[in-house]
Amino acid sequence: MSSTVTDGGYTELFIEFSSALREAGLPIGTDDVMSLCAAIAELNAADILDTYWAGRTTLVTRRDHIPVYDNVFRYFFLDEVLSKPDDPRITMRASANSQGVLQVPDTETFGDQHQDEEFHLGYMASPADVRRTKNFAECTPEELAALRRIMASIRITPPRRRTRRRVAGDRGRRLHLKRMVRELMRRHGEPDRFIYAERRRRVRPLILLLDVSGSMADYSRNLLQFAYSTRRAAGRVEVFCFGTRLTRITRQLDRRRPDEAMAEAARTVFDWDGGTRIGDSINDFVAKWARRGLARGGIVVICSDGLDRGDPETLANALDRLDRLCHRIVWMNPHVGDRTDVVPNSVGMLVAEPYIDRLLSGHNLRSLEEFAQILPELG
Amino acid sequence: MTHVAFPPADVAGLTTDLISTGYIPDRGLATAAFLALKLGRPLLLEGEVGVGKTELAKTFAELYGRELVRLQCFEGIDAGQALYEWDYARQMLAVRAMSGTDGTNVGAVDELFGLTYLVERPLLKAVRGGDRTVLLIDEIDRADDEFEAFLLEILSDFQVTIPELGTIAAATRPIVVLTSNRTRELHDALKRRCLYHWIGFPAPERERQIVGARMPGISERMAARVVEAVNRLRDMDLAKPPGVAETIDWVTALDAVGATDLTEQDAADTLGAVLKDRDDLELVGEAIGHVVDGH
Repeated sequence: MSSTVTDGGYTELFIEFSSALREAGLPIGTDDVMSLCAAIAELNAADILDTYWAGRTTLVTRRDHIPVYDNVFRYFFLDEVLSKPDDPRITMRASANSQGVLQVPDTETFGDQHQDEEFHLGYMASPADVRRTKNFAECTPEELAALRRIMASIRITPPRRRTRRRVAGDRGRRLHLKRMVRELMRRHGEPDRFIYAERRRRVRPLILLLDVSGSMADYSRNLLQFAYSTRRAAGRVEVFCFGTRLTRITRQLDRRRPDEAMAEAARTVFDWDGGTRIGDSINDFVAKWARRGLARGGIVVICSDGLDRGDPETLANALDRLDRLCHRIVWMNPHVGDRTDVVPNSVGMLVAEPYIDRLLSGHNLRSLEEFAQILPELG
Repeated sequence: MTHVAFPPADVAGLTTDLISTGYIPDRGLATAAFLALKLGRPLLLEGEVGVGKTELAKTFAELYGRELVRLQCFEGIDAGQALYEWDYARQMLAVRAMSGTDGTNVGAVDELFGLTYLVERPLLKAVRGGDRTVLLIDEIDRADDEFEAFLLEILSDFQVTIPELGTIAAATRPIVVLTSNRTRELHDALKRRCLYHWIGFPAPERERQIVGARMPGISERMAARVVEAVNRLRDMDLAKPPGVAETIDWVTALDAVGATDLTEQDAADTLGAVLKDRDDLELVGEAIGHVVDGH
């Protein structure tokens, strides 16, 4: 494809426009720009609507990129002011946290927490072991940083299910004809073994719904870190945050450096430390994501204390729907702690109980490890 | 009908052509479709269920007098079901017959992997058909993501490589339309080979035109009333908001029961045509007056 198709300086303009979009975060390659130029050549470049649609068809490949595109387009061609979605309050909070982790020296870890020290003295083999059972809410920033490093090493293996796709194998009821014919050819019609078509096994999707409201403040950052590690360790993982409303942060977590990923996710979530509307959020999740197939046959993990300001009936309805769409629901409630005889302690938990397949605490590292352990059994 | 010229001269021309077959596009869709036809690129359509994604491919086929080759995707679909498959039973018979002779006939073995033993599946059919076909790859998101890799060669070069035979390339390009209901995100490699368009719900005015074009016997007042009611349904917090297909189904159902105006009674009786979810039916059943009259 040659780019001599346009003239009159349009090419320059569209290259500039494309780089403006690239800066706004749209993944645009050179061949996409060439597509745009080829498209414009077929249309009337002086017509703003033609330009808009040509760009949107050739440069945008995702629905969630459309608002970004619109925004840049307005700024670039219509001279409107760019609206900034960043919430400075949240950005500051995230960066303050990570700085704290860096500056405080490690030796001070146990100095100012006498009660904990006394409690753990008897069986303290290594700091990591103590931290393993220590409640996240009681950890100092540097302990948390250490925990996060350990967290990244937890192996997450979601259960598998049999799919309809068949691959060649040694077992099965049907012969794998394609391979069998090859085998016959190779051996002049005298095969020495049978090749069967086996059902392939596939990892079930894992969906994490994290409560980031005020009552969960001590835990949410760690859960976010856990989500990040999980996302990197297992194949099909989706992550959502909710407080008063639901935000998908899967894509924000796809950064190589954890701190960047955390900061990016924190920027996206608007209702950090606010109230909780679990019912509405899960309802939203079901309507917008689960029904489309995101949660079909999957394991949904809800991390929340169940302190819901919304209508309990909404929560019950939402969970009822979710229960019919996904394979298993796991609820992590950090306030449950180490107790084994769990009695629901909030209206939310009371309502949710019948729909939950497994209740875990997720309040310390050991509990997260326990989750990683039982996960393969949920198939 | 006589078929119109291909490719269309401009966006307005294509819009007129599409409207003549009863498909009423908005500016964005018309531009995307025009560019896909003109540049010979596949068109990837995403959007809610029942907004006319599949219908566009059918309209292209009708408009340009081409054969519609449809590949309905499903979980577990593989190359054997989408591209080509060898006729194993015949091959095996041939192998048996060969083993009776001296078994060293090289020509016979080559023939075993010739076109005679090849079963053509939709994608190969479209490639060989070239500009006589419209290839519709429907609900690509239902196929597992491994399958998308099979499509890459076809979508970028319009060719199929069969190891035993070589590469079969399309002499002329078929029109290719892909649809997705967005149950999962498609790979970027696939998307980059296509032009992308998101089809939303149409504006009320356009939806009235669509109902009018699809159901010529319906009075304008009736069409307007139903479209208003459907739009109110879309504003409600439903599990599955009705698409344009549901609007047309509802009008058909109302017509079938002999209704000439949208009354609460008729609406309640025929609600099953527009809502397919029990929770939604319950929710709307209580507010049927609001849906019909808007207050």
